[in-house]
Amino acid sequence: MNLDTKRVIFINLRNRSSNVKGYVDLNEYIGGLGLGLKLLQNQIDEDPVILSIGPLSGMFPYATKTAVVLEDSGAIEDLYIGGTLASRIRFAGLDSIVILGRATKEVIIDITNRDVAFREADKTDIRSLGLPGKRSILFRDKKEVKLDGYFFTPEDFLHEKFVRHNLSGIVVTGTEAFKPPNFEKYQDIYFQILERTHELSVKKGLYPSCTVCPMGCEQSSSGEIGGNVLIHSLVTCGFAEKIYADPGIIFSCLNVLGYHYTHEDIENLPNIIEKILKRPIY
Amino acid sequence: MSKIIKATFSQKCTGCELCVYEVQQQLKNIGLEGSAIRIFRNLAKNPNGIEFIVEIDPSVTKLNLEKIKNICPNKVFNIVEQGHEFGH
Repeated sequence: MNLDTKRVIFINLRNRSSNVKGYVDLNEYIGGLGLGLKLLQNQIDEDPVILSIGPLSGMFPYATKTAVVLEDSGAIEDLYIGGTLASRIRFAGLDSIVILGRATKEVIIDITNRDVAFREADKTDIRSLGLPGKRSILFRDKKEVKLDGYFFTPEDFLHEKFVRHNLSGIVVTGTEAFKPPNFEKYQDIYFQILERTHELSVKKGLYPSCTVCPMGCEQSSSGEIGGNVLIHSLVTCGFAEKIYADPGIIFSCLNVLGYHYTHEDIENLPNIIEKILKRPIY
Repeated sequence: MSKIIKATFSQKCTGCELCVYEVQQQLKNIGLEGSAIRIFRNLAKNPNGIEFIVEIDPSVTKLNLEKIKNICPNKVFNIVEQGHEFGH
């Protein structure tokens, strides 16, 4: 697991290339929104689509969302999609996926851990890609981009961006496994958080759930837009804000995973994000 | 007689994968690779992603089946005696 660097995969659709880079200097952005904004600022000329997870993604209950950060008509948009995607990006060993450029022909990106293949959209059944049970499928239809046929982001920004990039879909398969140094302590915290369903602001249902959330709530399908910058940088579910707005919980989770964030790092995050937003992106 | 776990009510599965995490945690792992339980979306039958297939590997019997059964929020699993799984 990337504890001291942020591991970012850059995928260029124009020349069908990819490369993975580790950045120590992006650690201060924590993940999700913060990390996505900084990457957007760095790559703005390429009209990027950025998918970012946080340090707790795939590791703890309700850390279920993936931040989608993009620019639309001069405005920065941050959207959040639920489902399986955050866990698959985590188990692919990545913190962010940055998609750049426009494909000459409509394409599907097929990511397995840090390897990328480019598939012709008109010749490929996207359901045949990746490893079932370990993959997420983001697929663009005529109206919207859906994850695993069910989850989507609010507004049309992501769909418009996929069209602009000539991108038909993204499949992410993650096969890596992790083992926190103190596994018993990790499990203690994991189960303590899992039991706090009464603090979630959704009702239990029988709708498709996000990974590691027992709620099956009706709201999970439609994603989120806007809200608390810390929650969106950890990329936990907005409906779990009561749990993850508590610095004690955040530090317990980060420490047991082996991250070296300090209270100052967390407290400074809103200021860091504000600074990014104040700087002109062009 | 040894016990096995069955996904008796797989139609109630919502794909949360808590069972997968439980299996992996019993093996002191976090991840999806090598899990004795896997959850597939039945996209061929239902492209809207609302139907799930629960696949159980026989190696799951080495694990604490009660914990796996109890972690499921929708009571998908049952533990039965081997040989009685078809209701005999």
